[in-house]
Amino acid sequence: MLSRVAESMYWLSRNIERAETLARILDVNYNRTMDRSGANQAGTRRIWESVLEICGATVEVDLWDPEKIATNAFEFCTFSTENRTSILSCIRIARANALSVRAELSTEVWETINSLYLFVEAQSPRSIAREGPSSFLRSLRDTSQAFGGVVDATIMHDDEWNFLQVGRFAERAAMTTRIIRAQDVSDQSAHEWQRLLEMCCASEPFAKSQRLTSEPSEVLGFLFLHPSFPRSTRFCVHEVDNALHRLSETPKANFSNEAERMTGRLAAMLDFVQLDEILEEGSTRFATRVGERFDGVGAAIETAYFPRVPVM
Amino acid sequence: MQSLLEHYARVDYYDEFTDDRGVPRPHYRQLAQTLAGIDWADFQHRVQVVNNVLLQRGVTFTVYADSRGTERILPFDLIPRIVSKDEWSPIKAGIAQRVRALNEFLRDVYGEQRILHDGKIPWQLIYSSRFFNREMIGIVPPHGVYIHVSGVDLIRGRDGTAYVLEDNLRTPSGISYVLENREVLKRSFPQLFEHYSPRPVDDYPRRLRDALRYSAPIGVSDPTIVLLTPGIYNSAYFEHTMLARRMGVELVEGPDLLVRDNVVYMKTTKGLTRVDVIYRRIDDDFLDPLYFRADSTLGVAGLMNAYRAGNVTVANAVGTGVADDKAVYPFVPAMIRYYLREEPILPNVPTYDCTDPLDRSYVLEHLDELVVKNTNQSGGYGMLMGPQSTGSERDKFAKAITDNPREFIAQPIIPLSCHPTVCGESIAPRHLDLRPFVLFGEDVDVPPAALTRVALTEGSLVVNSSQGGGSKDTWILED
Repeated sequence: MLSRVAESMYWLSRNIERAETLARILDVNYNRTMDRSGANQAGTRRIWESVLEICGATVEVDLWDPEKIATNAFEFCTFSTENRTSILSCIRIARANALSVRAELSTEVWETINSLYLFVEAQSPRSIAREGPSSFLRSLRDTSQAFGGVVDATIMHDDEWNFLQVGRFAERAAMTTRIIRAQDVSDQSAHEWQRLLEMCCASEPFAKSQRLTSEPSEVLGFLFLHPSFPRSTRFCVHEVDNALHRLSETPKANFSNEAERMTGRLAAMLDFVQLDEILEEGSTRFATRVGERFDGVGAAIETAYFPRVPVM
Repeated sequence: MQSLLEHYARVDYYDEFTDDRGVPRPHYRQLAQTLAGIDWADFQHRVQVVNNVLLQRGVTFTVYADSRGTERILPFDLIPRIVSKDEWSPIKAGIAQRVRALNEFLRDVYGEQRILHDGKIPWQLIYSSRFFNREMIGIVPPHGVYIHVSGVDLIRGRDGTAYVLEDNLRTPSGISYVLENREVLKRSFPQLFEHYSPRPVDDYPRRLRDALRYSAPIGVSDPTIVLLTPGIYNSAYFEHTMLARRMGVELVEGPDLLVRDNVVYMKTTKGLTRVDVIYRRIDDDFLDPLYFRADSTLGVAGLMNAYRAGNVTVANAVGTGVADDKAVYPFVPAMIRYYLREEPILPNVPTYDCTDPLDRSYVLEHLDELVVKNTNQSGGYGMLMGPQSTGSERDKFAKAITDNPREFIAQPIIPLSCHPTVCGESIAPRHLDLRPFVLFGEDVDVPPAALTRVALTEGSLVVNSSQGGGSKDTWILED
């Protein structure tokens, strides 16, 4: 397949995944700030600052009116066009990429993205204010999730699909890790940890997997290391690794390029690291370290599959 | 219940649907009956549904005049245009004849130039054409085919005569609307198809692919075909993606290709793959920055060398534009007689040659009755519609014609035929044309797939999508 197409597939699914995660994070936190835990201004501010950190936004929250932090942060993360990672920006980028590979996408996939785009473009802060953000965020989340299903059911599971998988799971791994990194671990209150789980769509799976106690540290272990929870860092890294190996047809545990080597090494580390070690290092620092490895993987994927200057 | 067509008032033009007495023509009779049984409110509802479907599917084109690059759907009129077997037969034969003659002309004009030596076409006309491509002299593409795809524009005058208005031999577009319109109409309005079996259009991509495969460099039996697009901002991008998908070929942009040792490759995730046939949807000027416009980022550096070396086929061939230069158009009947020794089946529209002093002074004196066209432009751009023009527009054109007579032709205004069309709250007659497509592979192939463009503004004779035109599903009946 064309390198340009591979690159667009990768960014297409990365951006849809990101929009979906953002929608969930905003929904969870919007609900949080409505009840007790967010009632005071300091609490609200802390919550929205962590949201902005997860989004990778660099804004001067100090310049905002303390009364309006929630509204401003919400708008910044949804409809801001300055913010390259707002929901609107993500959907626009995803759709532009889809347009440039439209010949490779199934009609169903294209129509899913196009409807998502038309839906988001039709919204405005005013329409959101009228109906409440939840219905918007939930429709967005549902359609983004449906995208994954339509992709799996209508696109041939070969190179195109593998690049979509790489993008989807690379983004998901990165987001889960960022969400954990932004967590204030000194706050041991139950609803803080509940918020963390909900942002990762892990509340029910976690409850199901814990039979006896639910120590906060267990949450970290679950989100970083669970082998079958589909949003854990470890699970996602394995999916990236699998997709890369399917692309190059290299046997597992071997590598044919730098991207495979780095992903394999990260997967092995997550396979064998112990929760105690993570806690000793500090979850924030561990998450930062893992995040840096992802950046390396991303760069290596670009070099291997969509280089600026092709090799003969 | 208000029935459709109840108040349809035909005007003083040839009406495709009804005859002089206002009675539906035989091939429209069943359709008229079906329409009579449909409630107006129900019909309006379907119009809404169809527009939403088209937007959702992204069947859009980009309007250049709009700086935001807005995507719009091409307005789709639900009342189909029907071409009877008797109407289609001469059209089919006539356009195939033209394309054969035009292809011979290209082979000649880039070869021995017999037609110029024999004085049938003036030398200076060809050598002054912006589309005459000196790089092509001495190059013969595989099987001598230059015009792999063309879209011939036909119009019908007041007495019902069909004329060829333009030959469109470069990168004609519109076939995607033909395919989509049929798809959408079948789904949204199945009852219209009762009692009719229009010839299916959906094998066009296969026929195109066959023609392209045949065009491959001699000796390449299983060619790699690509469709070269200028990219997502091109007005016909939707069409490019659709054709690539349906033909099962890669859709590439210029930067996806590169040339090494006079061979064209595409950059893939597994390295470089050799390309044999390029169905290009970009103009000659942008194909190769080394030969043509140096500022082009749409093309591929070195492509012309690979082409000259015979390592790749470019379809349509480079330089076909000289044959559909608007100033060369008046000579097509002469080409048919010269190369094929046949009489033209379809007439040309009479055309005034502004380089001829007599013609020019006639044109300048009758600007308010004529349509003036710039030979370097197409798509309804750079045109003067005399009767609708203002004095200052006419002065501007008069000056331009006097300064550069080679760049203009003029034609009497042909009152295009009309057809019932949905216009807001009623159904009214609107002017339309017909663009059948011609493929040229092993032989000339005229698929039963034609685009009908309709001018939606009352009284307008300009059907181009860029100028507010719409389209209709076009049914060609069995022959």
